[in-house]
Amino acid sequence: MKIHNTRGGRIFDAANYVFLSLIGIITLLPFIYVIAGSFANEAEITRRAFFVWPEQFTLSAYEYIFSTPAFIRALVTTVLVTLVGTLIQLVLTVTMAYPLAKKNLRGRKLIMSLVVFAMVFSGGMIPTFLLVKDLGLLNTYWALILPAAINPFSLIIIKNFFQELPAELEESAKMDGATEIGILWRILLPLSKPVLATFALFYAVGIWNDFMSPLLYLSDNNMWTLQMYLRQVTAASDLLGTGNVDPSYIPPEQGIKFAVIVVATLPILIFYPFLQKHFAKGMLIGSVKG
Amino acid sequence: MIRTKHTLAAAVVVSAALALTACGGEAPASDLSSVKIMAPFLEAQPPTADGAVQKKLEEVTGKDINITWTPNASYEDKMNITLASSDIPHVLVVQGKTPGFVKNAEAGAFWDLTDKLKDYPNLKTTFPEVQQNASINGKVYGVYRGRNPIRAAVMFRQDWLDKLGLKAPETVEDLYKVAKAFTEQDPDGNGQNDTYGITIPKWGALGTNSPYDMIETWYGAGNRWTERDGKLVPSFETDEFLEADRFIKKMVDEKLINPDFATYDSTKWNEPFFNGKGGMIIDVDSRVSVLINLFKQANPNDFQNKVGFVGSLKGPDGELHAHPTDGYSGFLAIPKASVKTEADLKNVLSFLDKLNSKDAAILLNNGIEGVNFTVEDGLAATIKPETPEGKTVNTDIKSFAQLGTNVTGNNFYPVKQASEYEQKVFDDRTAIMAEDLKSAVYNPAAAFVSPTYVAKGAQLDNIVADARIKYLAGQLDEQGLKDAIKLWNTSGGDKVKEEINKLWQENKK
Amino acid sequence: MTAPVVEAKAPGRAASKPPAPARRRGFAVHFAHYKWLYLLLLPGVLYFAIFRYGPMYGVSIAFKDYVPFLGVNGSPWVGFTNFTDFFANPDFPRLLGNTLILAFLNLGIAFPLTIVLALLLNEVRLSVLKRTVQTLVYIPHFLSWTIVASLSFLLFALDIGPLFQFVNLLFGTNVDILSDPNWFRPLIVLQEIWKNTGWGTIIFLAALATVDQDQYEAAIIDGAGRFRRVWHITLPGIRSTIIVMLILAIGQMLNTGFEQIYLMTNALNRSVADVFDTYVYFVGITQGAYSYSTAVGLFKSLVGIVLIFGTNWLSKRFNQSGLF
Repeated sequence: MKIHNTRGGRIFDAANYVFLSLIGIITLLPFIYVIAGSFANEAEITRRAFFVWPEQFTLSAYEYIFSTPAFIRALVTTVLVTLVGTLIQLVLTVTMAYPLAKKNLRGRKLIMSLVVFAMVFSGGMIPTFLLVKDLGLLNTYWALILPAAINPFSLIIIKNFFQELPAELEESAKMDGATEIGILWRILLPLSKPVLATFALFYAVGIWNDFMSPLLYLSDNNMWTLQMYLRQVTAASDLLGTGNVDPSYIPPEQGIKFAVIVVATLPILIFYPFLQKHFAKGMLIGSVKG
Repeated sequence: MIRTKHTLAAAVVVSAALALTACGGEAPASDLSSVKIMAPFLEAQPPTADGAVQKKLEEVTGKDINITWTPNASYEDKMNITLASSDIPHVLVVQGKTPGFVKNAEAGAFWDLTDKLKDYPNLKTTFPEVQQNASINGKVYGVYRGRNPIRAAVMFRQDWLDKLGLKAPETVEDLYKVAKAFTEQDPDGNGQNDTYGITIPKWGALGTNSPYDMIETWYGAGNRWTERDGKLVPSFETDEFLEADRFIKKMVDEKLINPDFATYDSTKWNEPFFNGKGGMIIDVDSRVSVLINLFKQANPNDFQNKVGFVGSLKGPDGELHAHPTDGYSGFLAIPKASVKTEADLKNVLSFLDKLNSKDAAILLNNGIEGVNFTVEDGLAATIKPETPEGKTVNTDIKSFAQLGTNVTGNNFYPVKQASEYEQKVFDDRTAIMAEDLKSAVYNPAAAFVSPTYVAKGAQLDNIVADARIKYLAGQLDEQGLKDAIKLWNTSGGDKVKEEINKLWQENKK
Repeated sequence: MTAPVVEAKAPGRAASKPPAPARRRGFAVHFAHYKWLYLLLLPGVLYFAIFRYGPMYGVSIAFKDYVPFLGVNGSPWVGFTNFTDFFANPDFPRLLGNTLILAFLNLGIAFPLTIVLALLLNEVRLSVLKRTVQTLVYIPHFLSWTIVASLSFLLFALDIGPLFQFVNLLFGTNVDILSDPNWFRPLIVLQEIWKNTGWGTIIFLAALATVDQDQYEAAIIDGAGRFRRVWHITLPGIRSTIIVMLILAIGQMLNTGFEQIYLMTNALNRSVADVFDTYVYFVGITQGAYSYSTAVGLFKSLVGIVLIFGTNWLSKRFNQSGLF
C-alpha cells in the first residue's frame, strides 16, 4: 500500500476525516429524527421540535401500516419487481451501450442523436398509457419495467465508460479469437463493475420509488406495489392549505408519516452497501495490463 | 448539415410511430349486470371486493358492484387516463369541480342530471343552495357529495381563558380582547412574556377557508363574491374587506399574532397551541377533536379543560355573517361513454338512489349493526373490543364513506364519542354549526365558470392574496393593497367580473 | 487517463476501421463485419422506437385544447395559442430570469460541490469511514422535499431557529430568512446541496474507481504531492465523466423542479421564487393544464436540446470528449 508520510498529508487527512464525519452527521440526523418520530406518539412529536430518541416508545404507527396482509404482499412484490426489473433494464442498457461505444460503427451518431432527443422530449403520460394498453401490458408487471427499460441518461454514461476503457484490451482479445459478445462479457463487464453497480442502483431506486406507473397501469389492487399504499399517507396532508382537500378529511398523524418514510426507504438504503463493494478502486485494470 | 438530417430522421420515426399508435379504441357494450365504480380511498389500504360491507351493499342496492379503488394521491391523473381509455366505469367519483372536470363535462363526457334528480326521492336534494354551488353554470353534472357546510371555528385554550377570567369570544372585538390578554397577561402564569394570541400559518391563496377569509366574511365582506348595488363584486373590493384586514394588521402590529404568519409551516399549526405558546387557532372545527386528542394523549387524566371553541364571530355591525364552505366535496358523475342510453341512465340513477337510501347511508358510514357498532340513544357506538370482522368493517367504511352523497342530509347515526366529555364537545360542535348555518353567507358565484378566470384566475388571485399578506406584514401600505386590487382589475379581473355577472343574471330567472 | 494515453488510443481505433470502398457495398461489408454489434443494438433500438418515439405524437397536445374525454386526436387544434399566451404573459421575463438564475446557481455551486465531495471521499483511506460516510450522504436523496422543507422551517424559524440565529449573527443582521427575497435562492441551493450532493457523488465515485492505479504509484515515485496527484491524475481520469455530466445537467437546467420551490414560496418572496415549473402549477389550478403545461414543457425541451447539442459541439471543438 501507498504510504503518505508528509506532514501536510497527515494534516489534510485529519481535516478531511473530521469534515466528512460532520457531513455524515448532518445528513444522518434528520433521518434519525424520522426514525425516532415513527416510534413516538403525536403528543410527543408536537411537543418536541426535534429529538433522536422517543420518551414514550410506541409501535402504533407500525401496527397501523402492517395491519393487513396486503402490505406484506406489496412489500414482497416490490422487492421482486425491483430485482427482476433492474436486471432486465441493466442488460438492455448495456447491450445497447456497447455497440454505441464503437467509434467506427455506422449509424451510431444518428442513434445517439435520437437517444438524446428522446431524453429531452417525451410524448407524455396519456399516449404512453394508451401504448401500454395497446400492447396488452395493463395489469402486468411488465408495465412497470418495460416503458422505462432504457434510461437515455444511463445509456449515455455507460457508453461513455465503455469508450474510456483502453482499446488495447479488445485488440488483444480479438487476436485471441474472441467474439464481440465474448469481449463484452469476459472483458468489458468485469472491468465496468463500479459503473454497473451504480446503474443497477439507479434503476433499482427508479423502480422502487415509482408511483405513477403502478397507479396508471395496475388497477387490480392485489398487484399493487409498496408506493401505492405508502404515497398517499404522506401526500394527502401536504395539500392542506390549498383548499383542494375534503374539509372533513383529518390528515394522518405525523408518526404514521414518519413510519411510512422508514418503511419505504430502509429496504432500498440497505441495497447500497451490497453494491458498495464493487466500488473498490481500479480493481482489474492493473492486473489485466500486467 | 448532419444535424438537420438527424432531425428529419427523427421526424420520420415520429410520424411512423404516430401512424402505428393512432388506431385502436373499440366501443364497449353498455353492460350493467354489475355496476362499475371508480372511487378514491384515503386510508392505508382499500377494502377488498369480498368484504362484508361490499356484500351487504350489493344486497341493499340489488346490484353486483365492481369498485376500482384508487389512491387519493394523483386521483385526477388516473381519472383523466381512465376517461381517455375505453374502460370507463358507470359511476365516477369526481373529487371536485376542477378545471379538468369542467372541461370534460362541457365536452359532453357526463350526463346532464339537472332535470333528472328530482325524480328520485333519495337524490332530490334538500339543500338546493349546495346543489347550485356544485353545478357548472347551473347545470348539474353529478350527484354532489354533501359535507357539513359550516366548519369555521375559533379554538382557544380554555385553561388560559379561565385563568384570566375571560369569557369565550362572541364578536371580532372579543377576539381582539382575548388575543391581547393571551399576549400580555401571562396566561400560562410562568412570569414570562412568552405567549401570543393567535397562530396563523402560511396560507395565502384567496377563498381557501383561511383564517383571513373567515375574518373577512365575519366582517361582512361576503364569501369570495358578494352582491353590491345589484352586481356581484369580489369580496376584496368591499370596504368590509379593508376593515377586516386593518383589524388583522392591528393584531399583527401589536404582536398578538405570530410574527412569521407568512411562512409558518401549516403542518405545525397545533404546536404553539399544544405547547402553550399561541392561545388560539381559527380553522375548521374538525381541528377541535385533533387538539383534544393531543392533550388526551399527553395526559389522559387531565385534558378536559384545555380546548374551548366557538363558531363564527359577530362582525362590528353586530350581525353574524357565518363563513360556510361550498358544502360539498366532489360528485358522483355518470360518464356517457359507458352508460349509453336514457334507459341505462335510469338504471344507474336508481342504483344511486338506493346508494343514498337510509339503509345504505348507515352501511357506508356506520358499518354493520351488531358487527362493528350498536345503536345507543340514536348514536352509533363502536363495539369494543374489536372482533376481527368488526375491525375489517371499521377499516372498510372509511373508504366506503367516499361513495356517500347525503344530499338529503346525514341519514346515518352520529358516532358515539369515547368519553362523556368528548360527547359533550361533539354535541356542542353540532349545535354551534346548526346555529351558524342560519346565518351562512354562501358564495353567490360558486356555480359560475368564467372563461377568463379559467385562463388566468390563479395568477390574478395571487396578486391580491400576496398584497394582503404584504400589507399585513407591513411591506405595503393600504394604498399599496388598493393598487394591487386595481391591478387585479386591469390584468383581466374586469373581464372576470363581467362574465360572472352575466352568468349570474342568466341563472337568476 | 493522462493525455498521452488518450493519444495512444487514437491510432489503434483508426487502424481497426475497415477499408472504405464504394459506399453502398461498403455498408454491406461493414454490416456483415459488425453483424454481432448490430444485433446487440437491435433490442435497444426497438425499445426507443416503441416506447420513446411511439407516444411522441402526444406533444401535439401543445397545439391543442386538450380535453381528456375527447382524446389526443379528438381535441380541437388551437395552433400556437398556448405558446403565444405563455410568451405574451407579462410575467414571462421575470419567470425566465428567476429560472435562469436558479439554474446557474445550481450548476455553478451544487454541481462542482458534488465533484469536490467525491474527491474528498476518494482521498479517504480509512475504509470504514469511507463506506460509512458514502452511505450516509446518500440518505437525504430519499427524503421527500416535504421533509426537507419542514426541516428548513425548523432550522430557520424566526427568532428561535438555530440556523436563523447563526446566520444573523454571522452577517450582523436581523432578517426573517424564510420570507426575505434575498435569502430565497441561497436557501434553495443549500437544500439542493444537502439533498442531492451525496447522491450525485455516486457516478463520480464509480468513475474514480476506474482510474489507473499504476499512475499514482509512478507519481509517488516522482515525488508528486497529494494535491498535484489529484490535479494531474485523478481529475483528468474522470474528465470525460465530468464533461458528460455537465452537458446533461446543462440540458436539464430549466427544470428547476416544482415541489421544492413551491414549498419554499410565500407571499413575501414570490417575486424571486416564481419559476416556469411553479407557474405551470398555478395556471393548472384553474385551467386543467395539460395543453398549456405541454407547451411550456416543449419550450423547455427545445431550449434543452439546443443547449445539449451546443455544449456538446463546443466541448468537442475544444478537443474534449462529448456525449457522442
